[in-house]
Amino acid sequence: MTVSPAAVPPATVPPAAVLRATAAMDADVLIIGSGAGGATTAAVLAEAGLDVLVVEEGEWVEQGALVPFSLEQMDRQYRAGGVTVALGLPSIAYTEGRCAGGGTEVNSGLYWRPPGDVLQRWREQFRIVDFDPDELLAIADEVERDISVCPAPGGYTEPSEVLRRGADALGWRNGEIPRWMAYPNDQPHGQRQSMTRTYLPRAMRAGARLAVGCRVDRLRCGAGRASSADTTLADGTPGTITFRHVFVCGGAIQSPALLQRSGIRGHIGRTLAVHPTVKLAARFPEALNVPDDVPVHQVKEFAPHLSFGGSASNPGLVALSLLDQWATFQQAVTQWQHISVYYAAITSEGLGRVRSFPRMKDPVVTYGLTLRDRALLRSGLARLALLMLEAGALEVYPSFKGAPSVRNRRDLATMQQAFSATRASVMTVHLCSTVPMGELEGRTGADSFGLVHGCSNIYVNDASLLPTAPGVNPQASVMAFAIRNARHFVASGGRRA
Amino acid sequence: MPDPQTTPVDAAPVIATWSAPRTTVVTGAAGWLGRALTHRLLADPQRPHLRLLAHSTAEADDLRRFVDQHDAAAQRRIDIIIGDVARADTAARLLYQVGADTDVVHTAGIIHPRRVRQFYEINTNGTRHLAAAARDAGVRRFVHVSSNSPFGTNPDTGDTFRHDEPFHPYLGYGDSKMQGEMAVNEAVAAGLDATIVRPPWFYGPFQPPRQTTFFRMVRNGKFPVIGTGQQRRSMVYVDNLVDGILCAELTPAARGKGYWVADQRAYTVAEIVETVGRALVDEGLSVKPPTTHLPNVAALIAEVGDRVLQRVGVYQQQLHVLGEMGHTIAVDISRTTAEIGYVPKVELYEGMRRSIRWCLDQGLEL
Repeated sequence: MTVSPAAVPPATVPPAAVLRATAAMDADVLIIGSGAGGATTAAVLAEAGLDVLVVEEGEWVEQGALVPFSLEQMDRQYRAGGVTVALGLPSIAYTEGRCAGGGTEVNSGLYWRPPGDVLQRWREQFRIVDFDPDELLAIADEVERDISVCPAPGGYTEPSEVLRRGADALGWRNGEIPRWMAYPNDQPHGQRQSMTRTYLPRAMRAGARLAVGCRVDRLRCGAGRASSADTTLADGTPGTITFRHVFVCGGAIQSPALLQRSGIRGHIGRTLAVHPTVKLAARFPEALNVPDDVPVHQVKEFAPHLSFGGSASNPGLVALSLLDQWATFQQAVTQWQHISVYYAAITSEGLGRVRSFPRMKDPVVTYGLTLRDRALLRSGLARLALLMLEAGALEVYPSFKGAPSVRNRRDLATMQQAFSATRASVMTVHLCSTVPMGELEGRTGADSFGLVHGCSNIYVNDASLLPTAPGVNPQASVMAFAIRNARHFVASGGRRA
Repeated sequence: MPDPQTTPVDAAPVIATWSAPRTTVVTGAAGWLGRALTHRLLADPQRPHLRLLAHSTAEADDLRRFVDQHDAAAQRRIDIIIGDVARADTAARLLYQVGADTDVVHTAGIIHPRRVRQFYEINTNGTRHLAAAARDAGVRRFVHVSSNSPFGTNPDTGDTFRHDEPFHPYLGYGDSKMQGEMAVNEAVAAGLDATIVRPPWFYGPFQPPRQTTFFRMVRNGKFPVIGTGQQRRSMVYVDNLVDGILCAELTPAARGKGYWVADQRAYTVAEIVETVGRALVDEGLSVKPPTTHLPNVAALIAEVGDRVLQRVGVYQQQLHVLGEMGHTIAVDISRTTAEIGYVPKVELYEGMRRSIRWCLDQGLEL
């Protein structure tokens, strides 16, 4: 399913409108980061007439210009080429977008509203005040229109059908997850939506400036108030930005790291929450591989604690999934066209930390899985392998060192016996909760609208605020909360309510 | 072979069933479940011929007394065969000339042995011999009583085993029962008509004396609750289990399938202890409030100890039970209801009251 260049409508923002950051800039409101949190914040504030400057460490890359999930994309749109790790036993690999639009440019675009019971729990346990879950879901309605969340109009890809077929055979609940895709003229292959196609152009039309190639090293603060930011431009030269208010929207790793580098104390970076995932590759009799798209089905039978879905499966990623047990799995790679990669994701009871150290550019991220998390990863991988067998897989290759290949039910027992999370390739793309919002003392880093506790003009407005990992793709929650908080900022005139 | 006939089942979809066979063979007939099943078969005038397997002469004598006490149809033919289920020749003798109008219910098994190898001799090899003999004899239906143990424990307190799950045997017992299921499946592939039922922890009348310790621990407030007792446990009242076995036996469409047979829902350990305490009080017994709350790590240590001992072939019952108490074992019976018409009739409180009354009637001290 390749998006041919001819099918890509012209960008809504001419690249010339995107600025290169300069050594001295200023703004009424500085927004650091242009992903799901920063772009939505920028649109709300600019449309309210505020003077907004968005700075982004990465570059503007036209949506659709690079092959999705390709090495070139990892190089140009991901932080550190997509190789970032939370240390622990096992270490957990994670990825962060680093480009205009952030993670929204490079992820699979699957959209899940925050579940109502999760919102209720957040409100009660973290004491989020003036928070009406229905109001948030009404914002979600708007977001879904703005970014064109819809189901695929045509049929599903074969790797997606595998999930449906296997789950149906077992009687397990499954369904299509809508995506932010536009299907102009009912074309079967959609145009992926993202922040560079939606909220960023909207913000810029309302007068916001977007400056790329600008890393913020620290905020200059005194008495809980920040007045300027020290920056490093793409060519390595230093710069400064002065502002009245600042919104930190760098994502759940970069936002707490920046606050820590700026000397801000409090509950910052202490409660990183993720959805750890383990993977397997499954080989089928027919050629089914789709290199540049992911399945739209997810299996939610065991939700919230366990979910299954499909991963990007280009030849390089197929090889990567076989790497843990390369000695016995390598011959499978020649049949990559018959192989697709799938994941089992869990809600974790473990927690991670983000810590910044002086003179280190990047923070040190750690994460610890609990015994229950490890059992759940093992069980999830086995249930997913069972689903693959039921869907007609000839052979399943679980991604952990010492894994047997699975061809039948007896092998599932062998696989579970051999599994150890410590030897598994555990990864995650959902990072949150490093500056949880709410009024609960000692367990929140920002107030009920994202104002950092103890500060008067420093806000966080991204995945860091989500009090816990939501159990579903979190980007819908991130956007809805960011819009809610930005509107509150506008309504309260930029002062604390 | 009788034609399938259609019988409506209480609160369940209409499912085609067979009528009772001429001959019903029960292994482990002198055991806890075996007695509960035999007791039910003896009450059914449609079961003209029972053939029961006992392990020893003493057990056979005991079983004969049990039969004489409960047999409702004096005209019935009852054979008691003595033999070790672990031996191949026992299966051949047990099924000698039984004919095609025969169902076999294989309840024999060992759960608390002295040595780990006994698990395999009885639960695996015994099942393999019997399934092969049943296939050779051309019986109508072979019902194999398995367990939750081939599937291990749930990975999360909120998790519930679905109808179809990957094997993950819990220690020696679970492994031997998994291999028992595999032996049955091999016989099915070779032509046997078999159905597997998987009960979790069961309770109720005909319990062996060791089970009275369970009630005694609750009475004395000494039942080991791990953490806050929020682990969930599926349990099954033994008469519910007998219902499930009979559904599996008499439903033609159950061929080659396996079913959970449990009470309607899983209970938390805290709820189990509270309910048993209430049942004891309502049966006129005094109960001390629960005092034995162990930290989660106690169950973990017990489990590790159990694993180490089993690796060198030793089985220690207390360690095993304590190690398992830290886990959730919860199963979903909805498919069992939908496909073989099993509807559990007795829930925990009522089942425990009946169980306590039965113990008291036997003169057992709780």
